[in-house]
Amino acid sequence: MSQATLEIRAISGHSGSVPGAGVRREFDVCKLIDTTTCIGCKACEVACLEWNGLSFSETVFNNSYQTMPETQWNYWNLIKFNEHEREDGTLQLLMRKDQCMHCEEPGCLIACPADGAIVQYVNGIVDFQQDHCIGCGYCVTGCPFNIPKFSPTARKVFKCTLCVDRVTQGLEPACIKACPTGCLHFGTKPDMKALAETRAKQLREYSGFENAGVYDPPGVKGTHVIYVLHDASNPELYGGLPKDPHVPWAVSFWKKPLKWIGNIAMIGGLLGVFAHYLRFGPKIEPADEETPRQGGAAPRTGTRDPGGRP
Amino acid sequence: MSATAILANGRVLRYSFHERLVHWLAGFSYVYLLLTGLAFWSPWLFWIAVVLGGPTASRELHPWVGLIFVFATLLMYRMWSRQMHETESDKEFWRALGHYVRNEDELVPSADRFNAGQKLLFWGFLWCGILLLLSGLILWFPHLIPWSLRYLRYIAVIVHPAAALLTIGLFIIHVYMGTAMERGAFGSVIRGDVSTGWAKRYHRVWYEHLLRDAAARK
Amino acid sequence: MTNGWIDIKNTDMMLIMGGNPAENHPCGFKWPLEAKRNRNAKMIVVDPRYTRTASTADLFLQIRAGADIAFLGGLINYAIDNNRIAKDYLLNYTNAAFVVKEGFKLPEDGLFSGFDPSTVAYDTATWNYEEGGDLSRKSADADPPAQKPGAPAAAPPALPANAAYDLALQHPRCVFQLLKKQYSRYTPEMVERITGIPRDLFLKAADLFTSVRKNGDMTKAATIIYAVGWTQHTFGTQIIRTAAMLQLLLGNVGRAGGGVNALRGHSNIQGATDMAGIFDNLPGYLKVPNPTDSDLTTYLKRTTPTASKPGPWQSFNYWSNTPKFMVSFLMAMYGDAARKQSDFAFHYLPKVDRNYSWTEIWDNMYRGSVKGMFAFGMNGVMIGPDQQKNIDALKKADWLVVGEIYPDETSEFWRAPGTTADDMKKINTTVYRLPCAGFAEKDGSMTNSARWLQWKNAALPPPGEARLDQDILAQILLRVRDLYRKEGGKFPDPILNLTWPYTDPEHPALADVAREINGRALADLTDPATKQSLNAGQQLPGFAWLRDDGTTSCGNWIYSGSWTEAGPQLARRGTEDPSGLGIFPNWAWSWPANRRVLYNRASCDSVGRPWDPERRQVWWNEDAQRWVGNDIPDFKPDSHPKDHMGPFIMNPEGVGRIFVPLAGLADGPFPEHYEPVESPVQNPLHPNQSSSPVVKKFTTAADKFGSPEQGFDVVCTTYRLTEHYHYWTKNNPVNVQLIPEPFIEIPVELADQIGVRGGEKIKVTSARGTYAAKAFVTRRIKPMTIDGKKVYQIGLPIHQGFRGIQEDAERNARTPANVLTPTVYDANAYTPEFKGFLVKVEKA
Repeated sequence: MSQATLEIRAISGHSGSVPGAGVRREFDVCKLIDTTTCIGCKACEVACLEWNGLSFSETVFNNSYQTMPETQWNYWNLIKFNEHEREDGTLQLLMRKDQCMHCEEPGCLIACPADGAIVQYVNGIVDFQQDHCIGCGYCVTGCPFNIPKFSPTARKVFKCTLCVDRVTQGLEPACIKACPTGCLHFGTKPDMKALAETRAKQLREYSGFENAGVYDPPGVKGTHVIYVLHDASNPELYGGLPKDPHVPWAVSFWKKPLKWIGNIAMIGGLLGVFAHYLRFGPKIEPADEETPRQGGAAPRTGTRDPGGRP
Repeated sequence: MSATAILANGRVLRYSFHERLVHWLAGFSYVYLLLTGLAFWSPWLFWIAVVLGGPTASRELHPWVGLIFVFATLLMYRMWSRQMHETESDKEFWRALGHYVRNEDELVPSADRFNAGQKLLFWGFLWCGILLLLSGLILWFPHLIPWSLRYLRYIAVIVHPAAALLTIGLFIIHVYMGTAMERGAFGSVIRGDVSTGWAKRYHRVWYEHLLRDAAARK
Repeated sequence: MTNGWIDIKNTDMMLIMGGNPAENHPCGFKWPLEAKRNRNAKMIVVDPRYTRTASTADLFLQIRAGADIAFLGGLINYAIDNNRIAKDYLLNYTNAAFVVKEGFKLPEDGLFSGFDPSTVAYDTATWNYEEGGDLSRKSADADPPAQKPGAPAAAPPALPANAAYDLALQHPRCVFQLLKKQYSRYTPEMVERITGIPRDLFLKAADLFTSVRKNGDMTKAATIIYAVGWTQHTFGTQIIRTAAMLQLLLGNVGRAGGGVNALRGHSNIQGATDMAGIFDNLPGYLKVPNPTDSDLTTYLKRTTPTASKPGPWQSFNYWSNTPKFMVSFLMAMYGDAARKQSDFAFHYLPKVDRNYSWTEIWDNMYRGSVKGMFAFGMNGVMIGPDQQKNIDALKKADWLVVGEIYPDETSEFWRAPGTTADDMKKINTTVYRLPCAGFAEKDGSMTNSARWLQWKNAALPPPGEARLDQDILAQILLRVRDLYRKEGGKFPDPILNLTWPYTDPEHPALADVAREINGRALADLTDPATKQSLNAGQQLPGFAWLRDDGTTSCGNWIYSGSWTEAGPQLARRGTEDPSGLGIFPNWAWSWPANRRVLYNRASCDSVGRPWDPERRQVWWNEDAQRWVGNDIPDFKPDSHPKDHMGPFIMNPEGVGRIFVPLAGLADGPFPEHYEPVESPVQNPLHPNQSSSPVVKKFTTAADKFGSPEQGFDVVCTTYRLTEHYHYWTKNNPVNVQLIPEPFIEIPVELADQIGVRGGEKIKVTSARGTYAAKAFVTRRIKPMTIDGKKVYQIGLPIHQGFRGIQEDAERNARTPANVLTPTVYDANAYTPEFKGFLVKVEKA
């Protein structure tokens, strides 16, 4: 997909201009996941496996319906199951489809040093280009959602593509297509946001979920995958959805101030020593005459270290 | 304790073959690390990785070469650590740094085999090397760090470039001084010997020590 | 389903119980969620476990497995007490006003009138209506003129043509008063004792569910949704009955967003039932002849009901057309051999002398009287109760033919875990394994829960040597027929004269079969009312054309209209929905007559106006003098509302049965809570008659039952997971990846008590067998207090067996869940008990 350069808004590890920036008129796409109508059927998991042709991995029962503890390099879409006992003693089985959130400010892309290994399309999709990936795993560090996963065999990192191959052909992502309950929606960001807010309002007014709300975290300038949550004040309940995700401070610090400090220091260092040379010049090697030669001139080559230690 | 001596030809053996080998092992590995590191540091320098055999190869080799560098650094530690302790004259050296910078070497206190600047270089590289090793191991296998320990990764991505930057600063000064500024020094890590004048000017204590040694041996 | 999947979107209130549609019917579960999203409908989920369905509910109640009647009976009691009932509906569309015969007794002591301990069955003579007229005025009197009680009748008891009734609903023996009395015992306190649902929570649910009839409002509709969590009990039919009664009481049947909706667990289970999947049915729910049916006339006299209703009312009594259905069926079966003079070859049909239900067949094989079996499209070892008994039965058979897409447990019963090499030597059963085509490799129609016949095309040819089922069956038939032709036999005629009119007899096209099922005219016909005519050989437009004189043939009368001269109606793909009610009249074809909601006449008040003007299904058009609407009226189209014809046209009464007279049900005209055969408590209603008096217990050595006194004190239930489909998908890597291993769901408290943590192995033992798997320690099942006693419930999925990807790799224990379940079944539907039995749980 990286060939569609005019559709690219941001490129990782890239110097110079971005070919698609400001060129194409494109809607921001968005996937809406209404966790209140998710039934954990895993149709999205299977659709993701099938569409992307992902290989099988052996799983083990782990006291949960959850297929595996977290997404894998060859398992990009995972429903997280969480039993939650509310204060009034009633139980909730919270199910949240976990996958790449396609952040507007993608920590993975910011952290990535490889030119073109991660691109953000003008429609907001963040996509890994494995042919440019160098397998450094900085994206793993840059992601606030624990999404990019390293394949030890391919030595590359993989994640959900929001089915960019389908989306560019005018289709919805495979998970949306497979969802039987209408818990998943796909459309433009404003439309999905409006739909999500309407649903959240309905949950607050008619279903007694006073804290129902939309998860579209501003810390990463919003995401192209948004959730409706029964309790938006407590996203951690949903399998560790971060309450206020942002590009990790370390990555931000590293990529912004530290980089500038470093660049200035390095350039300053080079200029400094050059200036020193101009001003003071070299320390000329003193002449040998001061030292009386002892014995004849020994051949320099082949001089062995006498090795005598006191 | 030293492998150094006054040679029969009147020059002074400053670095033994072993020392020079280790120095250049560290030197070349460091340069590779520096170049590939810089390639990953800035998109404007990413071409370096391309030139050095491709970015994937650079990412794969960088940690291995890092191990070589750490190995060389440890050898240096074994060789030199006992000569690197700070002395009273080192403190004076720092006080007289301005003279040293202005090439007024006669106003600089005489040094033993290593002057205070070299000691700083040594300890700086050693400690930064340890930091680079530890943070580098995390960066080498980021996928093995569980999500609950992700702070280790955050620390690593700060510590690794920060430590590298410190070494780069030391490295610039070291290379500048070793090649352009202090004539005769470069030869000491190539051929191993320096002139007696050089030895007397920059490392008089060491030189006098060598003279005493030589006398004692006679 | 009385309604259909899509129609659930029209509801205001859902009670989901005995089913877990989110997990087992995820595609259909879209519609309950649509109702929540679009109508702010409420959802109440009642289940032994907090399921994925419960996760979307407004209210969840954890019920003890097998206590459903107590809960529903409690709802009936609540609705009556709080006047949350549909009075007009009740009066006009149900038999609430009918007066029941003197001598009928409610089961205060656990028994209805007429129980005969020697036969373990009821004499249902008193379960009948009083003959007579309007008793409304006389109801103040203690008793109307009594029938002579117990007068032995020569003929079997029949419904009175002119049933006595009391429109004031005050007569002490009117159905409504009996209903009220019966369920007045199901107080919230009693419900709590039996079900374990705390009184307050029960009242909350009861208030919520019946709120659709608050202040006499008739515009709202509530639906009840269930699945095999109800049917797989020894009193399964009666649970469903209770739901139906509650829905009649609340006026919810026949209405958009209402009804009693059975969710089918297979894509075509409805079709299997329609096409006589049960031994006592012929296609279209015609009754199988029994040995007393000496000829067709006798059979038709026995099986054709006559109207039984209050005098001034009318009853369409559609089953009065039974002769037309039956004769057309015989014409389809035997063609030229079925002639009027040969009694339409009625004598070719087998006469069923006793119960041949599934469980009985396996019991007979175990006892040695059934010698061979064809097992197609079912994995008998896995699906029946008590696996070991089934395996031992197969060991005694001479032969077994299995048509399957995978090597399954049934065809490999001889190497079930625990079978030694010596054991194998003693097994003399010859097993023929026939690779069959999978569902995507065949065409044909499937009938879904909503009664739609939907045609599908084959997506790809069967692999390797696999063959289509119909090819295999056709070739067996043709060879057997050749043998009969050559060698003769005791009674070769039914085989020799069976019609086999398919273009390629060895490979019958299912389109041919579907056309045959729809039926065709065998002579030129003219409809006397509309003057439309039909030529001989043409496809019938619908069952209204069926004749009892041999001029029509029809394989299944309810499917008539599915493949007409206009083409295959069941293959239609029209997506128009003019009413917005999700009727989609041009999508596929829904039996009967493309009606989407059964009994939809009941969606209107007595003068023919829809109860809810927003949801107009059908209505009376005074100008046209006809019933018209968005759906096909399930009614006599020209019956004026003034005629007071009942909307429940399949009942002889014309009205919904709150009381089921005579032999409609084997275990009582009203449902009564009975304990499962294995229960942790004695029935709090009548401890001396704890479980159903008519339940049959098998008596072989394999049939063992456990009690709390023996240490079996944990209630166990079985269920399916959304990740798997029965016993097939353990052969599919994707499904195996989703849920790789069997597990046992146990409450945290029980886990603490036996000292296990999640993922550790535990052992579950019933009187019949032992099952070991990893523990799934969860808060989704809570300990319960049943009649003052602390009771744990556990649950285990049924999917794993001893053949599959994980099984073959020896990665699971290779024991199927049905090693635990008892061989007992429902007295009416013969469905075995899988949902409530006793076990003990230990750390393995």
